[in-house]
Amino acid sequence: MINIRTKKYVISKVLDAFFISVNRAYLFVIQFFKQVLVPPFHFSEIVNQCFEIGLRALSLITLTGFIIGIVFTKQSRPSLEDFGATSWLPSLIGIAIVKALGPLVTALICAGKVGSGIGAELGSMRVTEQIDAMEVSAINPFKYLVVTRVTATMITIPILSFYCIVVGLLGSYVNVRAEEATSFIAFFQSAFSTLHFLDLSTSVVKALIFGFTIGIVGSYKGFYATKGTQGVGKAANQAVVMAMFLIFIEEVVIVQVSNWIRYF
Amino acid sequence: MNNSPNKRAVIVGLFVFLGLIFLVVGILIIGNLHETFKNKTEVVTLFDDVSGLKVGNNIWFSGVKIGSISNLHFYAQNKVKVGMKIEDSALPYIRKDAFVKLSTDGLIGNKILIIYGGTPLSPQIDGGDTLRVEKTFSSDDMINMLQENNKNLLAITTDFKLISNKLAAGEGTIGKLFNDNTVYNHLDSATLALQHASAQAQQLIGSLATFSKGLNKKGTLANELTTDTIVFNSLKTSVSKLQLMADNANVLVNNLKEAGTNPKSPIGVMLHDEETGTRLKQTIKNLEAGSLKLDEDLKAAQHNFLLKGYFKKKAKEKADTIPDASTNH
Amino acid sequence: MENQNIPHVISHDEQAIVIKDLYKSFDDLEVLKGVNLTVDKGENVVVLGKSGSGKSVLIKIIVGLLKADRGEVTVLGQQVATLTDKELNALRLRVGFSFQSSALYDSMNIRQNLEFPLKMNRKTMSRREIIKAVDEVLEDVGLRDKMNQMPSDLSGGQRKRIGIARTLILRPEIMLYDEPTAGLDPITSYEINKLINEVQQLYNTSSIIITHDLTCAKETADRVAMFVEGRFTRIGKFEEVFNTDDEQVRSFYNYNFIQ
Repeated sequence: MINIRTKKYVISKVLDAFFISVNRAYLFVIQFFKQVLVPPFHFSEIVNQCFEIGLRALSLITLTGFIIGIVFTKQSRPSLEDFGATSWLPSLIGIAIVKALGPLVTALICAGKVGSGIGAELGSMRVTEQIDAMEVSAINPFKYLVVTRVTATMITIPILSFYCIVVGLLGSYVNVRAEEATSFIAFFQSAFSTLHFLDLSTSVVKALIFGFTIGIVGSYKGFYATKGTQGVGKAANQAVVMAMFLIFIEEVVIVQVSNWIRYF
Repeated sequence: MNNSPNKRAVIVGLFVFLGLIFLVVGILIIGNLHETFKNKTEVVTLFDDVSGLKVGNNIWFSGVKIGSISNLHFYAQNKVKVGMKIEDSALPYIRKDAFVKLSTDGLIGNKILIIYGGTPLSPQIDGGDTLRVEKTFSSDDMINMLQENNKNLLAITTDFKLISNKLAAGEGTIGKLFNDNTVYNHLDSATLALQHASAQAQQLIGSLATFSKGLNKKGTLANELTTDTIVFNSLKTSVSKLQLMADNANVLVNNLKEAGTNPKSPIGVMLHDEETGTRLKQTIKNLEAGSLKLDEDLKAAQHNFLLKGYFKKKAKEKADTIPDASTNH
Repeated sequence: MENQNIPHVISHDEQAIVIKDLYKSFDDLEVLKGVNLTVDKGENVVVLGKSGSGKSVLIKIIVGLLKADRGEVTVLGQQVATLTDKELNALRLRVGFSFQSSALYDSMNIRQNLEFPLKMNRKTMSRREIIKAVDEVLEDVGLRDKMNQMPSDLSGGQRKRIGIARTLILRPEIMLYDEPTAGLDPITSYEINKLINEVQQLYNTSSIIITHDLTCAKETADRVAMFVEGRFTRIGKFEEVFNTDDEQVRSFYNYNFIQ
């Protein structure tokens, strides 16, 4: 009995299932990179998806970005006041929002809004056999559904995160203006004075990677959704959880790598 | 029979997973890893007070980070033993007689240790050596010193205040010079008088020149008179002396002019001396008296019978214009 | 049981689908245990069996959606398992597949649903030709007036018809129907059965129809194959198959008509 069991599973049932899913995810990512540069490109579908994703997340990002700008400024002021350095507020906010908060907040919102959307959409397509239907009519569903969506998130999320940065800085400006009567130009000049090209490019790369993560995790979870309506909900939920988890890990890794480059 | 593809998937998945873990963990720790790879030597030092120095704080030598604090222990009563790990590459430049002091990284930054001093004759440090500590300035010391500085500044500024007050009140030589208008006035009138004198001297010379020309003409009475060489020679010397005098007067006037505008000139400096100051004042007074007398003489000339008529006429004209102006009303 | 291994001389001209010794299992569950089946050109074969017994797996292997563990599937003279992606896609265009859930694309209206496979696969077709093809095939399934509606606006039977129309638009040589009458009322089922027969005549297709509905089997089948526990137990004309003492076949027959 024991002999049969050890033969059946390489490690144990749970671990086997986990590593099989890792392998499947790995192959999924590899397949994306294999197919993304090969025609047909389905440009109209990519544009469609970009529009869809941008529209889905725009209102929430506007609100969150603005509020984060105001709140972060309000919370930082007392600390800087201790040194009599409230004039550094714009620089501090600039660094915080451009380098960290903008892309991260955008990514988290999009993971919730877009990632779950993709997970649910592809999940229901899987469950109602629409993905199979594409495959049997000789349409590559991976290419048409996954590659277009991941490409769209990779385009949209950097744009949205820059939008979030701008809105966040505007929110911060509103607060700084009310308290310190700083002019618009002075605020933005000092907000960007401490930022370098590396900071901005890191921000873009970060947003690009976050976009990829959201798209690929949502697609993966949806693409391999199990049968039934429960499977769709599970796919959407797991897409959010997994994407957020990966985003935080990536954030730490990217900061570390960008610091290497900075001090190289 | 479906065991083999599953087994492969599990193994590939396992490797991918482990690879990712290694990648992430590697990236996260490798930032500090290249520090770890550098060979380091530990030296120690003893402090009375480390004022918040912590393990991991940096060590600087000539402004370059060369290591970090590896441990802190109480050593004896009131002593803290600080272990420092120093990169081997920096060791050849640190001598056994170098000093260690506490400092901060920036105004409000972290505490750092600074190694400094040391003479080239002394051998380089080895592992386990103890570096000396000089009395250091804690931030309390710095504030005390600032207090002292403030006191000194106060004393200096009070002195200055006193001096400037005195200057303003016209006390002391400089004060007097600054404040006495009469000195300037005196100088001015004296200059005018001298100018007048030199002009007259020039006129005199001019007329003498014409006169001497006339003397050269033959047949005149004067010619005959001057053929006597003795008289001519004496006249000649007196003329040249007059010329010299006029020149000197000119120079004096110029110098005085300069002295009036430039207080740093030699005359200006001389004026600072109290004695010369008073003496000059005296001289100027004398000059003024002289010129006053000259004025008196001129007035006397007005009363001369030859000119009396002219002055009377002028006075009358003046008197006439006044009633005219009043009738206009 | 005794009919399981009927010897076949494979002739590519005559036979649309040839399945030999097919095995498939999911984890611990063995679904196909040595399946053999031949479908001749222009023939409707009905696969009868209980729900969840793995009948759908069989036709999914035929179009390459699933891979068999062992055995051979030859479709229109080509071995499915050995084909490259490109060859497989070319073959798939010749095979229509009607899904149990119709599998209409939710985000597109009916017209777009029908145009989609054409736009993706017949790049040379002009806009006018596409519109003409859509009109024709909608006419064939009798739903021309629903062209601009969304799939969610249609009834189950109408969705099924559109699903069939979407496969017909590519002019397939083989039609595979997965539970065409499942979840439909008898009248709608009857209409679908009629449609299946019309398609066979109009488009001259060979078909495999998977169902547990005996009425459907009776009306559409040239031949019936009884699928029990991973094998075909009986294959033949409808009357032949059920004219037996086999316990399982009899019980299946009885249950159906009691329902």
